[in-house]
Amino acid sequence: MAASTAQKVQEVREVTRIERIGAHSHIRGLGLDDALEARNVSQGMVGQTAARRAAGVILEMIKEGKIAGRAVLIAGQPGTGKTAIAMGMAQALGQDTPFTAIAGSEIFSLEMSKTEALTQAFRRSIGIRIKEETEIIEGEVVEIQIDRPATGTGAKVGKLTLKTTEMETVYDLGTKMIESLTKEKVQAGDIITIDKATGKINKLGRSFTRARDYDAMGPQTKFVQCPEGELQKRKEVVHTVTLHEIDVINSRTQGFLALFSGDTGEIKPEVREQINAKVAEWREEGKADIVPGVLFIDEVHMLDIESFSFLNRALEDDMAPVLIMATNRGITRIRGTSYQSPHGIPLDLLDRLLIISTSTYNEKELKQILNIRCEEEDVEMTDDALTVLTRIGLETSLRYAIQLITAANLVSRKRKGTEVEVDDIRRVYSLFLDESRSTQFLKEYQQDFMFNEVDPAGDNDEEMDT
Amino acid sequence: MSGDTNFVLTHLGELEALAEEILTEKQQIVDLDRKRNQSREAVRALKNQTEFPSNQKSKKEVKTWVGFGNTFIKLPAKNVKTMLTEDQKKLDEEINELRNGLKPKVAKLREMEGQEEKKGFDLKAMSRDEMKAVYHPTGFQGNT
Repeated sequence: MAASTAQKVQEVREVTRIERIGAHSHIRGLGLDDALEARNVSQGMVGQTAARRAAGVILEMIKEGKIAGRAVLIAGQPGTGKTAIAMGMAQALGQDTPFTAIAGSEIFSLEMSKTEALTQAFRRSIGIRIKEETEIIEGEVVEIQIDRPATGTGAKVGKLTLKTTEMETVYDLGTKMIESLTKEKVQAGDIITIDKATGKINKLGRSFTRARDYDAMGPQTKFVQCPEGELQKRKEVVHTVTLHEIDVINSRTQGFLALFSGDTGEIKPEVREQINAKVAEWREEGKADIVPGVLFIDEVHMLDIESFSFLNRALEDDMAPVLIMATNRGITRIRGTSYQSPHGIPLDLLDRLLIISTSTYNEKELKQILNIRCEEEDVEMTDDALTVLTRIGLETSLRYAIQLITAANLVSRKRKGTEVEVDDIRRVYSLFLDESRSTQFLKEYQQDFMFNEVDPAGDNDEEMDT
Repeated sequence: MSGDTNFVLTHLGELEALAEEILTEKQQIVDLDRKRNQSREAVRALKNQTEFPSNQKSKKEVKTWVGFGNTFIKLPAKNVKTMLTEDQKKLDEEINELRNGLKPKVAKLREMEGQEEKKGFDLKAMSRDEMKAVYHPTGFQGNT
């Protein structure tokens, strides 16, 4: 019985790990079946079957490690699920493959040069798989005995008896070990591991033989079997770290602290060269594997010509990740030049890309997306209201319609309703303007606004260009 | 027909032998570890005896009882201690050897049984200094 409760506790804990509800938090994968055919509605993805299938093919290649150093461009109008597809790919890749997402404008910073920011992003997307071997002592605590000196001060001494199913032994304890044992609140009946090299104690749980139905215990109590075999075991752990993390740890005296503060600054090229050499050496010796990950650059048209030429070069490196870019621009000016180019990307880079294009959603798909978002945001909505909202989404934009969901929910809660109805939608639609109505309003009342030197009848495009 | 049976028989025999070997080695590791822990306890007890003698007349050499099979002999504590520590070193080596041998044997057994190869990365372990360069035990954990 105790075992079943222990399992239940585990499950509950996993569910309670809440993630923030973001714009793409409903995406759980690409929604493909085993034959890489896109299911119409699956894992939070709706429609875009062609684009999703293309993404799935690329994903398979990434998993096989085939297309390191290649680049993919996802192009499409605003609000057609470009970022969603990238997110889906990240989810489908799993924990072990590094996935870095940046926005194109992120590289423009005063503290760091553009190329440094890009290099860091590249190195963040390359993983190194390494193995660590440690000797641990694993056993069930039979008894802890701590002698405190009568004077109150001075060194404590103690004894710790550990057992497995096969053997039992006594360890003498020093002051340090006693301290960490008391800190971990280790008591008789716990299953613990002790790292031999560092002395770090880890509590695995309580022994089954000590499980009693009537014991008052916290919900976290986990029951485990008494370990089998020898007491002193060899444990192998495989880590995946990114090149960037190794860079940071080795580039400064305070090392890993910089990882938390985010204050990594510029990393010297010599450090990187040394690390590259070391990693190559490890790979030769069979000590490390290189895991090429994925670097996703959203809004890639924000990069300028220098960054593009850097990308060109960086992709030729033998430790390059897969580069995925997304843009919503058509034929436009390349930033930093006066030349026009498709997607705002120079032709030589464009030539290296596989291009996936997304198309606008139709009415049915819109309705499904809105329905998924309602579920994600815990909003109950009547069918009629959903239809009205879909119409709004069709006439204005998908993003605007999604914004209205939460707002309408608040309105319906205000009138103590349980479901969002058509009236609620109507009300928020009148409260919040969408982009086209706002433009309309501005055009009508241009004279009443400040600094309206532009001729209201004049061309609007001119003021957009900066 | 008889050739087939012969083949099957030898194959099964080899398989059994290999499996038996793995099992004995596993048991041997456990036995050796038990021995290692016992000798460690003994070393510790001797150390306590020699360093903090209960009776203060300890100008004399401390002697202690040692059991060799059925006979007990009184020997100088110092000699016993060096004997035991040497024993421990040997035990450590033996256990490590056995452990290193186990993995390829298990892989071979799986192959003979026609099972899929156990998934692993076939990596060699990093040394402690190398680990320090990529992994910091005080906070940063990597993506385990």
